[in-house]
Amino acid sequence: MNPAALIPAPDPLQVPWGWFQLLLLLTFFLHMVAMNIMIGCAVISLVKQLVNPAKNQTLCRDIGNKLTYAVAFTVNFGVAPLLFLQVLYGHFIYTSSIIMGACWLSVIFFLIAAYSLAYLHKFRFDTWQVGPRRWLLGTSLACLLLIGFFFTNNMTLMLTPAAWPQYFRHPGGFFLNLAEPTLVARYLHSMIAAVATGGLFLALLAHFQKQLPDGERRARIKNGLHWFTYATMVQIAIGIVFLLSLPKPVLRIFVGGNWLATLLFSGTLIGSYYSIKFGARERLWPATAALTVTILLMILVRDLARHAYLAPYFHPADLPVTLQYSPLVTFLLILVIGLGIIAYMLRLGWLSTKEGQS
Amino acid sequence: MNYPVWELTFFGGGLTIALMAVFHVFISHFAIGGGLFLVLTEWYGYRQNSTAIVDYVKAHTRFFLLVTMILGGMTGVGIWFVISLINPATTSILIHNFVFGWAIEWVFFVAEIVSLLIYYYTFGRMNRRHHLLLGWLYFIFAWLSLFAINGIIDFMLTPGRWLATGNFWDGIFNPSFWPSLFFRTFVALILAGLYGFLTATALKDEAFRLRMVRYCALWLLTPFALLVASTWWYVQALPLPIRTMLTQQPPELLVAIKTFLVTAPLLVLGGLIMTSKLPQTATRSLAALLMTIGLCYLGAFEYIREGSRRPYTIYDHIYSHSIPKKNLGTVAKTGLLKNARWAQHKEITGQNRLAAGRELFFLACASCHSVGGPTRNIVKLTSGYNSIEALAARLSGLDGPNSAMPPFPGTAAEQTALATYIFEVLQQRNDSAAAAALPPKQHEVPPFDPATSQYVLLGWNEYGMHTISDSDAFFTLRPPGNTIHAMLIKRGPTPQVISEGIDIHYTVEPGSANPDGQVEFWKHAASLTGRELSPNTGLTGNGVSGLMRVAADGRTFSATEVPLVPYQKSGGYLPYPLVTLTAVERASSAMVATATMVAPVSSEWGCRNCHGGPWRTAAGGVSPETAENILAVHDRYAKTTLVKQAKAGKPLRCQICHPDPRGEQGNPALPSLSAAMHGFHANFLKGRGADACFFCHQDAAPHGATRFFRGIHNELGLDCTTCHGVIEDHALGLLLTEQQAGKKTAAKRLARLKPRRVRTLAELKPRQAWINEPDCLGCHVDFQPPGVSTAFNQWTASEAELFRRRTDNLGIPCAACHNSAHAIYPTTNPYDAERDNLMPRQYQGNPYPLGANKNCALCHTKEMKEEMHHPNSLTMFRNVR
Repeated sequence: MNPAALIPAPDPLQVPWGWFQLLLLLTFFLHMVAMNIMIGCAVISLVKQLVNPAKNQTLCRDIGNKLTYAVAFTVNFGVAPLLFLQVLYGHFIYTSSIIMGACWLSVIFFLIAAYSLAYLHKFRFDTWQVGPRRWLLGTSLACLLLIGFFFTNNMTLMLTPAAWPQYFRHPGGFFLNLAEPTLVARYLHSMIAAVATGGLFLALLAHFQKQLPDGERRARIKNGLHWFTYATMVQIAIGIVFLLSLPKPVLRIFVGGNWLATLLFSGTLIGSYYSIKFGARERLWPATAALTVTILLMILVRDLARHAYLAPYFHPADLPVTLQYSPLVTFLLILVIGLGIIAYMLRLGWLSTKEGQS
Repeated sequence: MNYPVWELTFFGGGLTIALMAVFHVFISHFAIGGGLFLVLTEWYGYRQNSTAIVDYVKAHTRFFLLVTMILGGMTGVGIWFVISLINPATTSILIHNFVFGWAIEWVFFVAEIVSLLIYYYTFGRMNRRHHLLLGWLYFIFAWLSLFAINGIIDFMLTPGRWLATGNFWDGIFNPSFWPSLFFRTFVALILAGLYGFLTATALKDEAFRLRMVRYCALWLLTPFALLVASTWWYVQALPLPIRTMLTQQPPELLVAIKTFLVTAPLLVLGGLIMTSKLPQTATRSLAALLMTIGLCYLGAFEYIREGSRRPYTIYDHIYSHSIPKKNLGTVAKTGLLKNARWAQHKEITGQNRLAAGRELFFLACASCHSVGGPTRNIVKLTSGYNSIEALAARLSGLDGPNSAMPPFPGTAAEQTALATYIFEVLQQRNDSAAAAALPPKQHEVPPFDPATSQYVLLGWNEYGMHTISDSDAFFTLRPPGNTIHAMLIKRGPTPQVISEGIDIHYTVEPGSANPDGQVEFWKHAASLTGRELSPNTGLTGNGVSGLMRVAADGRTFSATEVPLVPYQKSGGYLPYPLVTLTAVERASSAMVATATMVAPVSSEWGCRNCHGGPWRTAAGGVSPETAENILAVHDRYAKTTLVKQAKAGKPLRCQICHPDPRGEQGNPALPSLSAAMHGFHANFLKGRGADACFFCHQDAAPHGATRFFRGIHNELGLDCTTCHGVIEDHALGLLLTEQQAGKKTAAKRLARLKPRRVRTLAELKPRQAWINEPDCLGCHVDFQPPGVSTAFNQWTASEAELFRRRTDNLGIPCAACHNSAHAIYPTTNPYDAERDNLMPRQYQGNPYPLGANKNCALCHTKEMKEEMHHPNSLTMFRNVR
């Protein structure tokens, strides 16, 4: 069966595809940051509750308090890129989602479980023993990791129509793209990145937790940066495996086949280098800047890889457009106003925290 | 058509979406009304200077946060996931047309989360003014989320001008946008009260608990009047077809509509009870109960809203099987499998028919129907169909009367493949319908000596077949009652029709002479007919033997309503019992002539083909299961209570309500029985030939136990449609008369059928059953051999012109020499080839019409030169055997 014949006909866009591409990349960046913090913090907290729970009690409580926010914003910031992804690649993502329908829908149930357990872990942190707490957090994290695995499956499956005919053997929605050569490396690449980001987030958090004793604060920053540095090192190794597992036409664009892709990819390597360098030297803000740049570049690289994967079949520029700008303008206006009000609310919250401290 | 189908089987698409949606809707509305509840209650607490109230709000906020953010937020994403899995084509339309609507809603969603988290975590730590401001901001953003999403939800029900313009704003601000927004806002406020009960009833201090419970009751009760008003507004904003459909309360939505109407006052009542001083356990239980009622209320509303747009997912744009309305014609013509990207079997063959049927099921049905699951279970819904052909017929009329389903998007071959899959695989049944085995029967030809016999005694039945419905405990379509006629002719150069001084007796053959032992008609006769009847007695008092009466014409004898059934005492099935006629000279009591005729009677109605159940007996009859299903369907759509009445021992005759031109007035507002039956069932039998007739008139089918079409016309290859037309035209002719009479349902039925043998409806002649029937002289113009190939649309103008009423120029009924319609000499009886030819066999030794082949001597005792009876009567019979 010719996989290209299975690709559904897309619906037209309202504005040129570049708008959606831009919005997709921007919102995906927010999602990635939130997701990395969520997974990374959960991993680090679990490790700390397993290794030396008594010593890490305060830190783990702090992490537990923040974890529910991270879940909320990961989901929320995930909605927008998934929306824009569906606009540009709906005919691919709907198809791959259906092929793994049962697993894909289970994401919602695992998410509810993970979120509920995270809240339980937070509200019962001081009343429950460390043993049950570990289970709460561990189960919550396991759910989140499983969700990540399903996402990786779907994001690879949507790019590989050649795997789609498997549907005819598994129409019940339990198919996973396990034969995909990049699957494991790609998944690990995302999850280890989360640990690195989680470490850096904890360091940043400690930096702003002025109420902490200085020693404790410094130790937290140092420890967070250690997690960040070592995870990034591991990340480079996994990244190489991931790169080499890419199909040749995709790999080629990053090694000279396409100047932009090669440039951006080189940028991620440089970003990673500086991340490790600044992390190892415990320079918080430069490390943060390096990571931010690296994540941004990684997102662009990831997007170019997607284009390369789908090049034989499709490019968003092929999509028909029935121009209607007024909805976009309205959205942008509301976004600006919304962001302004959100900033104001955050300021109110920030001020009240300061009032509470004073 | 565009996408693969997630094969859910047990859960089915409908339930999977509903499970996610109902909970989300119940929580998301609370997230809006509850937001206002929080900030106003907090403000109220400050105003009352009540720490207790403020503490209560704080505790309630935690509950609110957990419920709305975990369950509400996640199930909201869940709905998106699930609709894209079950209805990707529709989801894609919604996403692509309203991407910035969704994006705007997302901005509000972010702001909601930020404001709620800050509101909760700064409760008691932020100055009151700012905290209240945050509460207001939360509510505003939550309500704005509703504002944005409401446009998209209602777009699916009332896309309005978007259908023509494709404009974003036309879609968002669609005709039901504003009423829906108000309705949902009021629902949100009511839910705030309901959820408030949960936390308020948990308060320990009794006086404070009562105060807060009453406060919550205010939230529940105050918006109700506005809710009712907005509901009315909402309904008024709907397109006329949807509004009409809702006012008729279709059975698919009946439970939801009733639930919606019943739960609303229950909520009010519950709210009022909550204001009284009750023990805490009682209020807590009542609070939980009211939550459940509230869930049912909102669930019912959403079900009605979703149901109202059926068979579309976007009204008038894309069907629930994901085929856009504009493409349906092409798909139906060229085939779903050819058009579906994800179909493996593009052509149906003998080998792949089950696999292709399976693909068709998932492509066309699975988005709504489960397999063995709790909702719209296809196995249960189709279990009544007794054959693949019947099921395929049902599929051909999916969008038939009273249907909420879309048209079947495929070819006739695909209908059959799908029906085969459902029948053989899902239902695990075998379609082993074989031709009925008919035990051969014997007959004796009564004596007649052309040289010495003085009389010719002729007999015939009023109809070529009298088909009874022996579902007497439930209803009767037609009770037992054959009318037989006889004529006695004294032979001579100038033959005389004798009706004076002569008695003609009739006697049904012994094996068929005890109908009461075979059917329950006499047990229910009083209810069915309105009169008490002794067993084995017909409607006019005649029994299975007796004296025939001289008819109104003064020339023929008749015995009306002779109680005959096709069941024999021995247990056999015989639709052609013999009746012996004996002419006795009254003065001398001497028998002057005898003859034997067939009085045809069948019970082979094909109702069970689609209404389920077995035959009542081994060979025919309408079983109680079949009959009950028929009445249940009638009750469901016509809002009658026939099943209940029947079970109370009061079964009815169909003609009590539905007029029948043969002297049954019925209810003049209702369509005649024939128009009702054909007008409804034609929807499922479109595009067919005579096989359409056999579905119901199975006694005419060539494989059945009756096979009543047994005359020369059958032998010449004619079928039902030659004279009566195809089913659509047949039904339309009847419906036109009903329309002219101002019957309401006629227009609805007419709109669903298209004429086939004429180009326009205007070319069809309106007709009444049993009066305007095919005119023999339409083909046999001036009694000559037929010059045209069909008698269709050339109806007899009055009852007097009917074959069964018409006579020749000398007053001899046509049927006396040619036999009854559908059994015109020469006949071939399926049980006993010559059984229907007994008269001509007796009198002239051949099966041809009496007097055929210039056999004038039969009555005239000599050759005749003049065509006195009718033109072309003095010729040799053309279709000799």
